[in-house]
Amino acid sequence: MNEGEEKFGSIYFAVLGAVALAFGVAELIASAGEGFTWGILDSSGASDPLFLPWKAIILISVGFFYLSSVKDFGEVHQLAKAVMASIMIWIVAGMAIWSRIAGSIPGEETWFNSLEGFLASYAPPYCPEMFLLPFSLVIVYYVLKEGETGK
Amino acid sequence: MRLRAQVKKEVVKVPLSVDERWDLIENISKQTVEFGAYKHTLKDAIAELTVKPLTGIPVAIAVIYGFWSFFCDFAGTLFTDGFMVKIFDEHWLPWLQSVFPGGLRNSFYALMVDAGHLEEGILVASDNCFEAFGVLTSGLFIVFGVVLWAILAFYLIFAILEDIGYLPRLAVLVDTVLHKIGLHGYAIVPTFLSLGCNVPGVTATRPLETRKQRFMMMTLLAIFVPCGAQIGIMQDLVPELMGWIFLTLAIGYLGFGFILNKIVPGKSPELIMDVPPYQMPTLRNIGRKLWIRTSGFLLVAVPFVLLGCLIVGLMYLTGAMDWLAAVFGPLLMVWFGVPSETVAPLIAGFLRKDLAVGVLGGLMAQGIMTTFQVFTSVILLCIYFPCLATFALMIKEENWKELLGSLASLVAMVFVYGGLIHLVGIILGVA
Amino acid sequence: MKILLMGHPNVGKSVFFNRLTGAKVFESNYPGTTVDFMKGWMRLEGEDVELIDVPGAFSLEPKDRAEEVAVKMLAENRDSVVVCVLDASKVERGLYLALEIIERGYPVVVALNMWDIAEDKNIRIDVEKLERILGVPVVPTTAISGEGFKELVSKIKEAAPVKIEGVIESASAVSAAASAGKEGGGESAAVS
Repeated sequence: MNEGEEKFGSIYFAVLGAVALAFGVAELIASAGEGFTWGILDSSGASDPLFLPWKAIILISVGFFYLSSVKDFGEVHQLAKAVMASIMIWIVAGMAIWSRIAGSIPGEETWFNSLEGFLASYAPPYCPEMFLLPFSLVIVYYVLKEGETGK
Repeated sequence: MRLRAQVKKEVVKVPLSVDERWDLIENISKQTVEFGAYKHTLKDAIAELTVKPLTGIPVAIAVIYGFWSFFCDFAGTLFTDGFMVKIFDEHWLPWLQSVFPGGLRNSFYALMVDAGHLEEGILVASDNCFEAFGVLTSGLFIVFGVVLWAILAFYLIFAILEDIGYLPRLAVLVDTVLHKIGLHGYAIVPTFLSLGCNVPGVTATRPLETRKQRFMMMTLLAIFVPCGAQIGIMQDLVPELMGWIFLTLAIGYLGFGFILNKIVPGKSPELIMDVPPYQMPTLRNIGRKLWIRTSGFLLVAVPFVLLGCLIVGLMYLTGAMDWLAAVFGPLLMVWFGVPSETVAPLIAGFLRKDLAVGVLGGLMAQGIMTTFQVFTSVILLCIYFPCLATFALMIKEENWKELLGSLASLVAMVFVYGGLIHLVGIILGVA
Repeated sequence: MKILLMGHPNVGKSVFFNRLTGAKVFESNYPGTTVDFMKGWMRLEGEDVELIDVPGAFSLEPKDRAEEVAVKMLAENRDSVVVCVLDASKVERGLYLALEIIERGYPVVVALNMWDIAEDKNIRIDVEKLERILGVPVVPTTAISGEGFKELVSKIKEAAPVKIEGVIESASAVSAAASAGKEGGGESAAVS
């Protein structure tokens, strides 16, 4: 990657890391109670309250991984931390989405859900990791870049 | 100074002088060592992150989190609650109740379809497959309605983690912790496998090097690791207690492992694992593993569950269960703090743990147990005896001395740990 | 048969030792000294083999107590296989000790430990060539992640004493071949 890309990545993931860290801390505090809702952001989501503190720990780690990667971002070991953080987001967000898919297919009384019911399962509010998911995908660009220059 | 003198005396003849040796080294290194030639790839760097504790532990938490939530949603939300409960409770059970010859008071009907239960002194038909307790209702529901999906979800994730190459790295990561209880990182492989089914878990202890290690591992697996079938059905019955159940079992696993390590004679040398580089799993490989393991599970589970259902049903019908409850009831009540009816699931548990939890579910539906009693019963079911298939395998794998040892530690464990849980319950005021 | 683990101080030898022996290890004191060393067992093709973590030494010309003990332990265990642990990013220094042990006629397996760190420092070592020159098994390892250990253990039985003259000969033969042919090395390289 060139200097501009490296600089952009470094700033971008610093911001993303700070946001992930903030989400994680908020979830950890909220996990003592019922979770928090803030507009379309909802930490409790559909999943089990038992998961909340663990999810919070993961998001906090994601934040630290991103933040520690920004110095000398182009270096492969630094980049690896950001990649790992993104993979961790993909795991938690992927499971949040999977949870919605699993809940959306069968209906309450009928075999399968109605179309409205199916679509309603995907309506907001969303949990923090789902917000982080699209932003974390930027890492794919850097991984591809690294693959080119690595050879 | 005596030592130095001795060393001096021993004149070792070495062919090379210091300078000659350095020349040779220079010659060798010139030919074999290149500086600035190698660069770590992203894959190398990621592999490094996953084994260093500081970064590896958060990654492991994320992986296990993913594992567990996939398991719950796949088996619980989608298949069992989404479809299977409907099929079995709303269609299969009413249909059988209407077409099967005999009726509530007929013994054969009670064994096969629905034993019914007493409601204010009147025998009424059951409305769900946990309570009905017939071979064709509860038996089939437990295997195909609940457990099959849990097993499928479990082995799918397990195969993916195995094929990516994450599993040996997780083993390396937990190696140090497990050394404290005389086991090695490799122990997570049989432990994880046992979370699917204890039978392949016990088989996976074969690579362990010494009899001590195998004995310890098998005993710990048989006592403290609930199988996927059991987990699936517990998740269905008491989802809110799962965290406590796992915590209690994990404490038992580590604590008892520590004690066993101290009292069992023998060595426990390291098991050296191959740590392959990370790679993309292939669909074919995963499919094959999934098929072999799941079909292997069904072959063991189906006959045992159906047979177990029949035996428990017969014991109820002949009054043997009431007799056992009367005999063991006081012991259960006083020592473990659970009602005498718990005898029934404990009997079923000799055959299958999932069936046992199912029987417990039937008792819970009658509302005769407090939450803490349910919790204690579930733990007791886990630890008091391995299921018949696991036990048969242990007979094959251990010699009689070890088998007796396993059984002795089992009995001791049940009483100590079960009593301890009751005691903690009393202290906390929840028992 | 015993296995002696030898190498410089700070080549990750204690982690290395733990990877091989596992949980039950004993720390002993070498009689008459304040030098401690570790002892444990490892499993080699179904047999229990004693593994001794010899105190770190830079060479076999002792300059301190620990090195004296190392030399003595080596002399006491004539029938053992020596696993010589080298820091892969400082191969030259480690080879000095390895050659000294080879010269004394011990069967040696060379472990290029901290391989990951050598890679970090952009160092590449031609393991096959090194193996050919030395005539003993050479295995890259990373003690922290456990990489290479399976291979290392499988090579212990292959270890056999080699003549140092053979090493010198093959070193120059390979080097001659390298300067003669463009590709260098190749199958024709002499092995002692």
